[in-house]
Amino acid sequence: MLKFGRAIYDLLSSVRFGIVLMVLLFIYMSVGSAGIVYPVHPNIFHPDAWVHAQMRQWRGLEMTEFEWFHWWPFTTIIFLIALTLITTTIRRIPLRVVNLGVWTIHSGLIVLIVGSVIYFDTKVEGDSPVARRKIVLALEGVDGQVELLAAVGASATIGSGAGAMRVEVSQIDPAWELLSGPDAGKRAYSVNVTVTDSSRRFIRQLIANYPQYTEDIIFTDDKAQPMKRSIKATGSALVEPRLSVALEYESQRYFYERNDLAKAWALYVRAKGASTWVERPMTGVPLYNDYVGVSTDVFETPDAPPLVLDPIHVAVGAVDANDPCADVTFSVSGYLRYAQTRSRLVDGGARAAFNPSAAIEVSGAEGAHTTYRLVANDPARSSGDDGLIRIVTVESEAQFTKMQGSATLHVVIPAVGIDIVEPVRVADAQSDGPFVPLGAIDSGYGYRVLAAQDELPVGSRTASVLVVDIKTPTATIRRWVFDDTSLTRDVPADGGGHGVPIAPDPSVQMEYARGGGRAILTLAVGPAHEQLRIMTAIGDAQAKVQPVILNEAIVLPAGLSLRVTSFIANSVVESRPMIVPESQRMRDARELFAQILVNVPGGASQWMEFSPYAVDDFRFALRRHPYHPISVTLADGREMELLFSRRRLPLDTEIALEEFVLTSHAGGYTGEGGTIRDYTSLVRFRDAGGVWGEPTSVSVNSPIEHNGLSYFQAQWDPPEPPTSAQDRGSMGLNYTVLGVGNRNGVSTQLGGCIIAVMGMIYAFWVKPVLIRRRTARAKGSVNS
Amino acid sequence: MKMYWMLCALIALVMPLLAADSFERELDLSPLDGVAVQTEGRLKSFSSFAQGQMAFVSGPRKINGQTATFTYLDMLMCPDAYSDADVIFVKGTVVRAPIAQALVGADATLAARMDTFMATGLISEKLLSRPELESVVRSLQSDLLRTAKAMDAVRGARTVMSPEFLLDRLRIVPAAPSDKDQRWSSMRDVMLLAADPAAVKAAGASAQPIAGLDEARQRACAGAWKALVEGWTNGNVTEVNASLAALASELRAMNVAAYPDASRLQWESWYFANGNLASIWLVYALSVILLLLGLVYQWKSARRAGLIVFAIAFLMQSAALALRWWISSRWPNSNMFEAVTTAAWFGGCAAVILEFALRRRAAAGMFALASGFASAVALMAAHFLPVQLNAQISNMMPVLHDVWLYIHTNVIIFSYCLIFMAAVSAALYVVYRLCGGAPVFARVGGGGGLALTGETPLRGEKLGEVLDGVTMLLMKLSFVLLWTGIVMGAIWADHSWGRPWGWDPKEVFALNTFVVFAVLVHVRYRVKDKGLWTAILAVIGAAVMLFNWIVINFVITGLHSYA
Repeated sequence: MLKFGRAIYDLLSSVRFGIVLMVLLFIYMSVGSAGIVYPVHPNIFHPDAWVHAQMRQWRGLEMTEFEWFHWWPFTTIIFLIALTLITTTIRRIPLRVVNLGVWTIHSGLIVLIVGSVIYFDTKVEGDSPVARRKIVLALEGVDGQVELLAAVGASATIGSGAGAMRVEVSQIDPAWELLSGPDAGKRAYSVNVTVTDSSRRFIRQLIANYPQYTEDIIFTDDKAQPMKRSIKATGSALVEPRLSVALEYESQRYFYERNDLAKAWALYVRAKGASTWVERPMTGVPLYNDYVGVSTDVFETPDAPPLVLDPIHVAVGAVDANDPCADVTFSVSGYLRYAQTRSRLVDGGARAAFNPSAAIEVSGAEGAHTTYRLVANDPARSSGDDGLIRIVTVESEAQFTKMQGSATLHVVIPAVGIDIVEPVRVADAQSDGPFVPLGAIDSGYGYRVLAAQDELPVGSRTASVLVVDIKTPTATIRRWVFDDTSLTRDVPADGGGHGVPIAPDPSVQMEYARGGGRAILTLAVGPAHEQLRIMTAIGDAQAKVQPVILNEAIVLPAGLSLRVTSFIANSVVESRPMIVPESQRMRDARELFAQILVNVPGGASQWMEFSPYAVDDFRFALRRHPYHPISVTLADGREMELLFSRRRLPLDTEIALEEFVLTSHAGGYTGEGGTIRDYTSLVRFRDAGGVWGEPTSVSVNSPIEHNGLSYFQAQWDPPEPPTSAQDRGSMGLNYTVLGVGNRNGVSTQLGGCIIAVMGMIYAFWVKPVLIRRRTARAKGSVNS
Repeated sequence: MKMYWMLCALIALVMPLLAADSFERELDLSPLDGVAVQTEGRLKSFSSFAQGQMAFVSGPRKINGQTATFTYLDMLMCPDAYSDADVIFVKGTVVRAPIAQALVGADATLAARMDTFMATGLISEKLLSRPELESVVRSLQSDLLRTAKAMDAVRGARTVMSPEFLLDRLRIVPAAPSDKDQRWSSMRDVMLLAADPAAVKAAGASAQPIAGLDEARQRACAGAWKALVEGWTNGNVTEVNASLAALASELRAMNVAAYPDASRLQWESWYFANGNLASIWLVYALSVILLLLGLVYQWKSARRAGLIVFAIAFLMQSAALALRWWISSRWPNSNMFEAVTTAAWFGGCAAVILEFALRRRAAAGMFALASGFASAVALMAAHFLPVQLNAQISNMMPVLHDVWLYIHTNVIIFSYCLIFMAAVSAALYVVYRLCGGAPVFARVGGGGGLALTGETPLRGEKLGEVLDGVTMLLMKLSFVLLWTGIVMGAIWADHSWGRPWGWDPKEVFALNTFVVFAVLVHVRYRVKDKGLWTAILAVIGAAVMLFNWIVINFVITGLHSYA
């Protein structure tokens, strides 16, 4: 035993062993950080013969960098290095003046290792989104308040029945200039909400920190001024004084652990209707690879490699006393790293409702073609190309005949004496297609249709609009032609004038009248469920009706042809996740597109999409941060809501965002990253007495520390144009995301590093001088 | 007769080219060297701005041998001349091949043109717009890992070469003194002031002068621009030259206080027109050849000449660095071009100091040799890889606005250059051993004190000792600097990202480089053939450092991906 102990002591005090450990450390760190490259083909000189892989991400390992560098092989190497450093230093390096350098270096490294053990073992790090304001609604006669986030599109209803009021955030300007009063010239955060009740619709403008400037804007029938300040129209600033709408801080109490540091998946649970979530940690859910038990659980992409069937089994039990279903253990049997939920239309058979769907291929003269997949009963998918092509169901021939009534355009061009009313004509279904001539061929005037939209909500009413490019002998004008001419506007097509609509050019006057509901190309289904007819108005004044036979081309004017390639009369939607091919994944998406398959005891399995933050409600979801709760029914009939997100830790105090400031270089922020100089969040912490402290700024490279946690500027809310037809876009600056973390042991680490540096300087440059002097002294004494 | 027609056809083909060439040659674009353009929050000289924009279109290639300034204006005023000209650069054969294949498949007459495209990467807007390419382009755009980035660049190139974009980006009208954002305006915003008001109205446009700026000068600018456009499209050199001079003078006079110093703009134009002075690598290469001759054949005169040429090269590089510093108003170390060239300059500084301090020792000339080689390689990379080492001066990312950028980054890149220099002397030691040199090494103590204190000549074993001694001296310097740099980086990361160490690939491989040198230090104590092991590990250390700088930066993403 003693001999064995001696052998171990010899080994640990061996420089060779130390070198071996350093080589192992090098290899381990290289493999964990850069991965490995290995050949997959005998011809190793061909570039495609080599494959790069991140070993730590393989099935069975599934480790983040942080986890790889905390795995037992790494800690063992570091432990042995520390032990070898200590034993070798004590045993092999006599503590003399000339050796002070080595002693200092080794001591510094030991201190560094001790500091790192403290640091990494206690490390918590995450991010905390803090929105700028929330809107608090109160209505006289209604108990309680309703809250929603100040974010464009967020909406809530207060009250019930005929007295209910729907409030929707319609516009936010993060730097609204106050135009009057003692604060004129100052800029403030302004939120406009649209309030709708059974009989009225008005806008209420709220300005953060200036509640005295809250006022309503009403819609009028005055064509010259369709909107008016309530104070001017009625003498009162508020149309509905019973409704209180106020801006308040939307404080944050949590930070969410970073998944790319160490996996921190969590399932959140609450009873249906409850407002707050209860967290259940999910240990064992992977991060990098797909785990599916049955291939029919997902849609596979045609070019993707074959799916590996490899389910997981992770039990997710309750850990919180407040868990609403502590007796129920959910389980996770599938995980997808990067998937998107896709819906496919399948034939629901005779039992399914009549819901025609069709794939329509429109080909141009030059061979280019576009395929539209339209569904009659889905308003969002019943038309394509901004309303130019549509699928409709008809219940009777009479309805079909009525539908053929054309939309018309009344055009007056005084300069050339044109005053005509004619059906809207389209020469080509392309937005950059030829112009339909107006008047004589050589008049130089013409138009082309870009989009058509009937029954568009405008103010307190609806209107129909035709978007056209008008060609005149000298210019091209883009115009929104409404059926109400007071709304008709010209829009600079080149984006000039900030794209703000202006009064229409009087040299060309137009008025639009909607037709019977048909589009430029309309596929009508019915009255019989399999009867298909196409109505077209391209290049023709009158609608032309042709019967449709599946997969047979129908020749249309202007060199176009149309083919219905598939048709389902009773279509139903089937949704599943589709694994996105690796080559098409965004590299910086992290876990944003992850999904898990959760099994509810006694219920069905359900895929859940990842939500970065466990906010209480859709009304509090931040832009660009999706929120996907699902509802499940337990075996005993209880209804629960589940959310797939990350673990969260409480902040020591609530934090609120007073203001977010974007500092730019000369010329202002232009949307280009290079013009941004700094991001600054002005935050407030709430003290134990519930009072908000003074604003403190957190900016890049300038964090703040509060009660042991450091707060860093991490992400921001950039301006964004509309991303879909339903989206209104955002001027941004509505929230900030702060990095939050602790820093235990950092001073010890730094101390160790400085000690080591001092040792290096001594060993490399002081020691040789000492030796040289000693040698010179020895030589001197020999000579003398 | 046949010959006559062929000759006529040839003349008809060549004449427009000659005419265009002569038009460019006779133009005097020098007034534009004093014109500033506001782009991405910076004020640049017109020529550096044009070079940056044209790089988006044609990458590292020059269009018809024209200057970027000429091409910018020509593309703006005569866009039709470029619609079927092969000017758009497509990066990578993996992107070029399917495009060429689809086009040749549709039109066999394009075969020869596609061969050229495969070699140069240049293709025309017209070819890219052909319907046969639609599905190919879609497929290339959807492959986010391999081809989407290159296709984004193609899309960017097509956008940039549109006259609307070129005109919009021409923000050369200074901001009004009252404009607190200091936003400059595009020529588009004032050019209509010179147009016929009736025509402007008929076009549905408006011609309003910019508030806060002298209206008369705006009208003068608009007039000069109108004359420029007319002269350019008509090929009237005199009119173009006169209007350019007038335009440059009016623009500056519009807001003199906001306008950058004329000499700064001219020097900036000169700096970019001369390839960022990266050609200095030739002078360094000459010094390396002379110093090698001095080392191998013990030619004192060659060594002396080598040192003189090295000194000249170093002075030239110092001037280039100072010029860039002045132009950009910041120390040049915030992008890859600057990091590589400044690192080489740091190596030059170290070499100058060491050569001076050890001028009477046997190692004289060795540090200049190592530094000269490092600088030649760095500047060659800057010269031949303009896409990877983009030399354009741009604003720094917000995270880089910190004093630690100057401390941490400079210490790290200095250590990297010393590591490379150590690898040069180590490689020479390996060559020395391969040529039968004795397994000698410099005695431990002060970086090969024995070798360094010796006198010339360096023949026989002495050469081995000197090479090993130089390696050790440089290695020890870099060892301490690298460690210090890593620690300083940790301090910066701690207050910037909230953690001193995040196992980011760049951090890990900086540490790995240090580990290699720690192994070297310990191996040297244990092995018999100290010189050879030192040399081998010094070269391995340099390889790991280069891996960190090249592969980690360009291939593996991480927190340091801006560096």
